[in-house]
Amino acid sequence: MALGVFFYGRILSANEASKYKKLTVAETEIDSKTVESFVRLRNRLVSGGTLLDEHVAFSGFFSSLEKILPTTVRFTALHLSIGQNGLSKIEGGGVAKSFNALASASTAFAEDGRIKDAIFSNININKDNSVSFSLSATLDREIIVFSP
Amino acid sequence: MNSRVLPALALILSVGIFFAYVKPTWSGPLKETKVAIANYEQALDAADEYKKRQNELASARNAIDQDNLNRLSVLLPDSVDNVSLILDINALAARSGLSLANIDVLTDDSTVSGKKGNESVAQSSGTLQISRANPVGSVDLSLSAIGTYSALQSFLAGIEKSARLLDVRDISVKGSDTGVYNYQMVVRLYWLR
Repeated sequence: MALGVFFYGRILSANEASKYKKLTVAETEIDSKTVESFVRLRNRLVSGGTLLDEHVAFSGFFSSLEKILPTTVRFTALHLSIGQNGLSKIEGGGVAKSFNALASASTAFAEDGRIKDAIFSNININKDNSVSFSLSATLDREIIVFSP
Repeated sequence: MNSRVLPALALILSVGIFFAYVKPTWSGPLKETKVAIANYEQALDAADEYKKRQNELASARNAIDQDNLNRLSVLLPDSVDNVSLILDINALAARSGLSLANIDVLTDDSTVSGKKGNESVAQSSGTLQISRANPVGSVDLSLSAIGTYSALQSFLAGIEKSARLLDVRDISVKGSDTGVYNYQMVVRLYWLR
């Protein structure tokens, strides 16, 4: 029995040495640069896709605004921004030819639905009966999202 | 007499060998060697799995058109390289008919991200550590420009379709009666850390 244990121990030791040798060879075959290149490619693909999904195109907003806004209303100042929470908003000021023109602009925004929560404020009637105003609204993602 | 003593001695010797050598060897070095072998086998299985996965990934990567990979590298480059980008933006503005007055990098902590993060893959003590941190860094550029509305449209279209991904995050337009407007923009650029 003791001899059996002795030889079994020798066999196990030889087996262990053989496995260790194989493992050392396997380890040397792992190239960290190759792994890094795979990780970077994966990161590039995933992150690129995510960023493209959120890619902003304000030119789409300007084109839409040209169509939505009545020709009797114009902006004198405009500020478009995207907050940290991803919510985009518009703030600006402008002049409408008349109250009716301003009302039609408000209706046009409501009908379009992509310029949301449009609040016209600081409404003043000028000497030439034109109406100056301030506007604040939030923008639907659809109006600023990039489409190739 | 001998016929009784010898078997008794043999029995005592056997019991002695069992407790002095067989049992300690079995539960000591042999057990440890078995555990070590099991660990090596597990590691070898993992190495085989790694090799298999590496081959699969290499095949998948080779299946992607090299031009597309190059375009992807331009879309999300390995470094900030904002100087080249500013040159490109300047050229785009000139082509669009927009006159750039000022370009600045916003270095506020809230606008620069990704510089404090860990490397995506770092090699330490021979082992690979893959970070879960956001692998994308970003920085904002502030631009001031003057030009017509159509020049702005052309410039914005160029920025939006740029081979390198750029997002206009903020734009202010101040009107004038001459048809030439003042613009303030914040453009965000990205890179892979």
